[in-house]
Amino acid sequence: MKITIKALCKLFGKVKAVDNLALEIRDGEFVALLGPSGCGKTTTLLMLAGIYKPSSGSIRFGEKVINHLTPKERNIGMVFQSYALYPHMTTFDNISYPLKLKKVHKKEMMKRVQATADMMGIGELLDRKPAELSGGQQQRVAVARALVKEPAILLFDEPLSNLDAKLRLRMRGEIKRLQESLGVTSVYVTHDQVEAMTMASRIAVMNFGVLQTYGSPNQLYDHPDTVFVAGFIGAPPMNFLEMRFEERDDGFYLGSQALEIRIPDERGAQAKQNDVPQRVIMGSRPEDVSVVAERDGDFKAEVYLIEPLGREDLVTFRFDSEEIRALTPAPFHGQIGETMSLKLDKEKVHLFNPETKVSVLRSGNGGSS
Amino acid sequence: MIVRPKVKPVLAYLALVVPSSLVLLGFLWLLITSFSTRTEGLKSLGWTLHNWRFLWESPFGPGYPSIWQITLNTLLMSLIMTVIVVVVSSMTGYALARMKFPGRKSFLSLTLILHAFPSVTLLIPIYFVLLWITKIPLIGRGVPLLGGFGYNTVGGVALVMVAFQLPFGIWIMKGFFDNISWDMERSALIDGASRFKVWWQIIMPNIRPGVAALSVFSFLTAWNAYLIPLTFTAGRAGKSVVLSLYLQNFISESVMTEWNAVAAVGLFQLIPVVVFFLFTQEALLNIYGGGRKGGA
Repeated sequence: MKITIKALCKLFGKVKAVDNLALEIRDGEFVALLGPSGCGKTTTLLMLAGIYKPSSGSIRFGEKVINHLTPKERNIGMVFQSYALYPHMTTFDNISYPLKLKKVHKKEMMKRVQATADMMGIGELLDRKPAELSGGQQQRVAVARALVKEPAILLFDEPLSNLDAKLRLRMRGEIKRLQESLGVTSVYVTHDQVEAMTMASRIAVMNFGVLQTYGSPNQLYDHPDTVFVAGFIGAPPMNFLEMRFEERDDGFYLGSQALEIRIPDERGAQAKQNDVPQRVIMGSRPEDVSVVAERDGDFKAEVYLIEPLGREDLVTFRFDSEEIRALTPAPFHGQIGETMSLKLDKEKVHLFNPETKVSVLRSGNGGSS
Repeated sequence: MIVRPKVKPVLAYLALVVPSSLVLLGFLWLLITSFSTRTEGLKSLGWTLHNWRFLWESPFGPGYPSIWQITLNTLLMSLIMTVIVVVVSSMTGYALARMKFPGRKSFLSLTLILHAFPSVTLLIPIYFVLLWITKIPLIGRGVPLLGGFGYNTVGGVALVMVAFQLPFGIWIMKGFFDNISWDMERSALIDGASRFKVWWQIIMPNIRPGVAALSVFSFLTAWNAYLIPLTFTAGRAGKSVVLSLYLQNFISESVMTEWNAVAAVGLFQLIPVVVFFLFTQEALLNIYGGGRKGGA
């Protein structure tokens, strides 16, 4: 089922929880709503579920506007962070509850519950109560309950947040595979960018109720639209430095007190076309910063902190009063306090307007969406 | 130092045993008194069943209603009040905890004010209300067993008791509903339940301890009520009399008070309370354990 959201707003009193949201989710697509807590992603999900009524704007399932339909009339399944199982019912009763309400025939109900439970690997646990199940099993019951009525749309509200790290990784894969094999249109709310990146085919990043960007994980990672998206996607986060943008006869330059770099012509030209201001925010991911021999370096900085990550070491450098982080191959050969030469990958430099916080490297008309 | 771990439980038991034995001593005294002709402290000066004769004959003559009629009255009054209070509080509490409607906040503060309101000041206005209800045909005084819902009827007294108990009940129930996670309710709505089904099939089974606690409190309040039955029934010997008023018959101004009989009737009134308590103490303890997490 295709979902089309247009000019959607939700007000709680005077607080705008969701502000003029536009989003299109293709049939069978897995979309993640990503953002920090309080960004409006759960509110959006609850509007899709029919728990909250939109203040204005429209939500369509297929071609039909469903703004005023009750949750019951929407044919959706939802999985909650707290699992939201009914503690007084057995696993069987929990899973069969949606079917019971639909007055599905008893034999048919037994068959469907058993099949769904088997698919989720909890076929043996049907007579247990939720309190007798582990967190992972409870989550499987919750997913089974959402799936059993064969919904047109699946909604997930941070379903993995309460699981431990190892189980989370496993359930992440299982949910993704399940979604792919069933082909049910799914919306997945999370504040964990790794979850969003690994599971979703497209990610909608939200902040303060406003949609920041909407695109595939790679698109968001390689071409972030705003400073917020650039800083939110990717771990460790992107470095930001305030710099001067200059066009000279031989090309485009970025400069500050400590360093000056020449950026590729096409990047410079694109920025110029987007009315780049004199001062810009330059962004560079830690993996695009490397330690090099002195003659190849763009600038020098002092080692401030070394954090081994196993495969790589995350090193924080200081220069002037700025900080920059670099991911270097482990083991890192350097001492705290030592001055080293650093080089930025200019092909992967991002530029943002410090006023609007919008990227000046975007193709198109440069207007923010 | 080695003794130390053992000192703590001993102190705890001491703190429990001393006050409870004082209370128990009072009950023991009552028990001995009720089976004695006279007592000197805890010592009986002669055993007798005379004080308990009210169980098989009316000590005030045949014109008085029998103790069993009175017990039935008390039981009916208490049950009616408990059922109405629990049903109305569960629904009101749910609405206040979960639904948005105009006047919700003022309703909440109003119930709180009513809860704190000195009920004695309302006795006279309520008397007129009951008199007015009496005039309504059938409902006034034509209901079998209860008499009706007007003045000098078991139903009428129950009605007044309900009114005084409701603010407390609503607040207690609202507290229990507040403790139930929204997600569970949302989940049920998405599963296709109506609001009423959510309330009845999902929420209510999960606040059973709350229902039990409120039932016990309401029942005991009604069972022991004195002022309201006294005010809204005509005389201690009327057909709508309840146990607490019956007890009063033994303490009169003109004749010497039979304290041994008072003890017996007092104990008799106590029996249902103790039985009720035995069966519900677990539920009562649950209130202090907080809402159930994850079921079981």
